[in-house]
Amino acid sequence: MSSTTVLKRSNWEIWKDVIFALLMREVRTGFNDKLGISWAVINPLLFIIALAFLRGLINGEETHTLSTFTFMAVGILFIQGFLQILNGTVQAVSKNKSLYSFRQVQPISSIIAALIFETLVKLFTLLGVGVFMYYMGIEIQMDNALLFLLCLFSVIVLAASLGLFFSILEMYISEVKKVRQLATRPLFFISAVFFSLQDIPKEYWKFLDWNPILHAIELARYGASFSYGNEGVSLQFLLLTTLTLLFGGLAVYNAFWKMAVSR
Amino acid sequence: MISLRNVTKYYPSRLGNQYIFKNVSFDIPTDRNVAILGANGSGKSTLFRLIAASEYTNEGEISTELSVSWPVALAAGVHPKMTGRENTRFIGRINGVANLSAYEERVLEFSELGAKFDLPVQSYSSGMRPRLAFACSINIDFDVYLIDEVTSVGDTKFRSRAKQALVEKSKEAKVIMVSHDMSEIRLFCESAIIIEKGKLYYYEDLDEGIKKYQSL
Repeated sequence: MSSTTVLKRSNWEIWKDVIFALLMREVRTGFNDKLGISWAVINPLLFIIALAFLRGLINGEETHTLSTFTFMAVGILFIQGFLQILNGTVQAVSKNKSLYSFRQVQPISSIIAALIFETLVKLFTLLGVGVFMYYMGIEIQMDNALLFLLCLFSVIVLAASLGLFFSILEMYISEVKKVRQLATRPLFFISAVFFSLQDIPKEYWKFLDWNPILHAIELARYGASFSYGNEGVSLQFLLLTTLTLLFGGLAVYNAFWKMAVSR
Repeated sequence: MISLRNVTKYYPSRLGNQYIFKNVSFDIPTDRNVAILGANGSGKSTLFRLIAASEYTNEGEISTELSVSWPVALAAGVHPKMTGRENTRFIGRINGVANLSAYEERVLEFSELGAKFDLPVQSYSSGMRPRLAFACSINIDFDVYLIDEVTSVGDTKFRSRAKQALVEKSKEAKVIMVSHDMSEIRLFCESAIIIEKGKLYYYEDLDEGIKKYQSL
């Protein structure tokens, strides 16, 4: 039998190969039906149109100086992005459990692969929504693209950090999964997706402004148009919360992953 | 040689920690094909997974200079919705195979899956999956192959191919094998390790080991 050349790889190259292989696996198994990736655009788009229509009934074509469609698009893309990355990363860890038999594959590699996959899908969705807006003649405003991207980036990191944390926790305590699913459900309503923080009386802000996703969504809208305003939200709070949760997620992962794969 | 130093491994359970190994030090020889024998639940598979670094010890260390395969069990790491070829590429990528298409062809040839190689694994019969898993492993050069019951599932023809491949490989590589099928073990192995009550015993002569195992 002829032999197979196995490359001597550095740690970095092993990581790269493993994440690439896992990513290919996600791509191959992620879109199984005939609609394929187009569903990743159609689904949120229909959702945005429906909710923008509802919101339009309340206050017409503009919501706090931003076009109602843009207002809704930012909210829904951000919250769906958050939920999909969170669920995607947590599911990836349990789904790939049999792969940890290969010593090169560690839970965090499946988290990174799922993160890249979900992010690419979301960017594709963002692009699709942009194209839709262009053809419908909806003005695309972008006063501070960097701020918008920074908000998007921190929502992604936020979701992945929580994904890291929950995936390890759920290997130890399976009931946590139910709690996570329950806890993420109201996020849609408390993250300023449909109602801006400005729609809510100031004395109730303290019940909502602990939520970093709300800050990200409101700031992203502010990034799209300065006239939208940024009262009550803070970029510093968003970034510090993200950083803290990232640190927490990595710390929990680092402490417990070796024992978690034995479960 | 694969050396275990003060290895402790337990699984937490409702009844407290279930110890599989407590402070075990042992050297597993890798200059010969070794069978691991023991009753159900004695820790054969755990030992296997520890050697392969699929799992980690609670205390102590396992070290070796050699390249060790993953534990080739019935269908570990094979995605049912992906085709045989895609699964092969996945395994090849992870293990750093330089030429993936050549590797694919060799796996195809060895597993004799034919056209089924390009169909999802979920459509395979129960004998075909382990054939794929074994073919993927044997076509990568390792110093030590960890084989868990795999060869006992295939048909006679596949078993003789597996045997032939392992004999050919055994010039540079060795096998550590778990099986309850003594004829299987006699076919491939020269020595035995018996696991009993968390302790490991080495028998250089396979027949002596089997006799001891059967008298347990």
